[in-house]
Amino acid sequence: MRRRSGLLFVAPALILFGVFVLYPMVTAFSYAFYHWQGTTRGGFAGFEHFTTLFTRAPFKTDMPRALLHNVLFFLGTMAFQNTIGLTVALMLHRRARTRRMLQTLYAMPYLVSPIVIGYLWTLLLSPTFGPVNQLLTKIGLESWALPWLGDPDTALWVVILVSVWQWIGFPVLLYGAALGGVPEELNEAARVDGASHRQAFFRITLPLLVPAIGTVSVLTFIFAMEAFALPYAFGGSTGNPAGATDFISLLFYRTAFDSGAANAIGTSSAMATLLFIIIFGGALAATAVLRRHERRITG
Amino acid sequence: MTRRTPWKYVALAALGSAVALSACAPSSGGDSGGGGDKGKTTLTVWSWRVEDEAAYNKIFDVYEKSHKDVTVDFKPFKSTEYNKILATGLSGSDGPDVPQVRSYGQVQATIASGALVPLDGKVDLTGWDENVLASAKGKEDGKLYSVPLAQQATVMYYNKGLFEKNGLKAPTTWDEFMAANKKLKDAGVVPIAVGAKDDWTLPIVHEIIGAATFGGTDFQKAVQSGDKSFTDPQWVASVKLLKDLEPYMPKSVAGVASTDAQTLFSAEKAAMYPGGSFDLAVLQKANPKMQIGVFEVPPAAGAPSGAQPTTAGWADGNFAVSKKSKHQEQALELVKWMSTKEFGQMVADEVKQISAVPGVENKDEILQQIADNYEKHGSPYLLLTDFRYGTPTGTDLLGKGIQEMLLGKKDAAAVSKDLDTGVKTWFKPGA
Repeated sequence: MRRRSGLLFVAPALILFGVFVLYPMVTAFSYAFYHWQGTTRGGFAGFEHFTTLFTRAPFKTDMPRALLHNVLFFLGTMAFQNTIGLTVALMLHRRARTRRMLQTLYAMPYLVSPIVIGYLWTLLLSPTFGPVNQLLTKIGLESWALPWLGDPDTALWVVILVSVWQWIGFPVLLYGAALGGVPEELNEAARVDGASHRQAFFRITLPLLVPAIGTVSVLTFIFAMEAFALPYAFGGSTGNPAGATDFISLLFYRTAFDSGAANAIGTSSAMATLLFIIIFGGALAATAVLRRHERRITG
Repeated sequence: MTRRTPWKYVALAALGSAVALSACAPSSGGDSGGGGDKGKTTLTVWSWRVEDEAAYNKIFDVYEKSHKDVTVDFKPFKSTEYNKILATGLSGSDGPDVPQVRSYGQVQATIASGALVPLDGKVDLTGWDENVLASAKGKEDGKLYSVPLAQQATVMYYNKGLFEKNGLKAPTTWDEFMAANKKLKDAGVVPIAVGAKDDWTLPIVHEIIGAATFGGTDFQKAVQSGDKSFTDPQWVASVKLLKDLEPYMPKSVAGVASTDAQTLFSAEKAAMYPGGSFDLAVLQKANPKMQIGVFEVPPAAGAPSGAQPTTAGWADGNFAVSKKSKHQEQALELVKWMSTKEFGQMVADEVKQISAVPGVENKDEILQQIADNYEKHGSPYLLLTDFRYGTPTGTDLLGKGIQEMLLGKKDAAAVSKDLDTGVKTWFKPGA
């Protein structure tokens, strides 16, 4: 009886999820195994579209490159956003009075759409009118006044750093909440036993933050693998300049909606399925590692 | 401490990636007015020109006056979303009767899905420009599937005031062109406003500067028959021209966005702007006081003898009849009307585009000059008209290649070789 009424309460959400997420997902999955003529489905294709992704131009070269950029985006975000985020959260934790206000300030940029952020930074970094290069020239750093978004060596890092700047508030909030959950007695006990600030942090606080770090890492992974709006705002759908800011989602977008190829649905669905497997697999692997880690500290 | 269920991560991951995956599944949407009341038929016309809605309503009012039994419902969608919306609309039951469709290679998927009615023998387009008609045909069967709306062309715009101030006039030889570039640069003006950060603009710039050098229509025929390829020395030379002209483009040109390039020109900080006929209205609006002129870039030194300056063109905005339309007869009648001079003239006057209908006059002097140039020595915008029938497209390859050349990563020969290899993954000459 209780089970049945429970099901009744879950039903609305379950139906919505089924119709708008599960069903399209499964159909997209099935699309990858058929030949397509525009929107008309043809015969069964088996794994042909998947082999196409690895053997035919432009996918053969564009996909590994785009995937590499996704991975760099993930690593860069982990290295900068999450470490800086943790540092900021720690500093805010110690000043109870201004914490709320500063947390809000740090979170501000992510209230703005990534498309707008991308556009604003494009203006700021423009080599013709942009104030950033004008400022660098004025203070004598003319050799630093680079075409930031025009040079393939710098463009990807601009995208990553701007993304870090925009989303920094996110780890600050999550770590802030997790720090609030660390019992103050533990730290006090450690201090009484003669531990330094450093030791207390690395031996007490950090291990207790591992679950939070896990959540942030998995979310960052999904976020980085799905990156679309910001790279699109910076480099358009082709990942300008010269493919330096190309990401899997952009390649997917080009294949599905820009190419005009008759079989666009087949190839792009195969790509989406592959992306799903990568994200899902990556998240599973990360979870397995984290679970072991958590057992060690809690068990 | 609390026990945590790791499955929440799994659920999180599944949810996150599910959203990505479901983005590619078509959903049903978009309902048309459909059905008629009091014996009147409502024809739904879909378009991606939101900015032209008023103009089209005016045009279709004229049509409704002569066709009392028909109401035309013009429905524009956001351009960047249009392909998706149209694909869904044409496969469902609530789609348009008369959809605006893409041209050349970009319409092939729509044709292949059997969504459009062949118009051969129903609409008479004799006397139309061959290059324009190619935009409306199926690659496989050669049948006509739409009526082209507008003729676009590549144009070198120049600021007449700035030219006069520096004692220059529109160049007629390559030497004059280079001398003008040098003089403008010495005077502190950016000679040619190029925005190489946006790769799609670069094949257009190449067409404007290099078409006379690689040989326009003759080269198209030779490439189609297999006599020549993109590794041809004349083609390579035409690509190299852009590298030669780099000193006359804005500094760090690979970082300059196309909107920045337009702003440079509109702010009278740059003297020339290579663009399309579709840019004219924007340029005129941005700085109404500026005197704009157009010229065709003369053939460069080393061009084949007898080389002519040329204006490259293509057609777009074509209208077709949906196979699913419940009002086949009326829809065909409307599309037929779109091939008449009456409609063409209104497109020129109201939508302010060069009509694809032959013999239509343009009120705007510059637009008329561009149309005249194309009529006199027009050629196809080759990579758009002939090399968008597969992936990678010719325009994507050359755009990216020129970026790499301007960044010093590749030379013109390597860029041309990559273009050749890329398109040959799907392009078979002589076929």
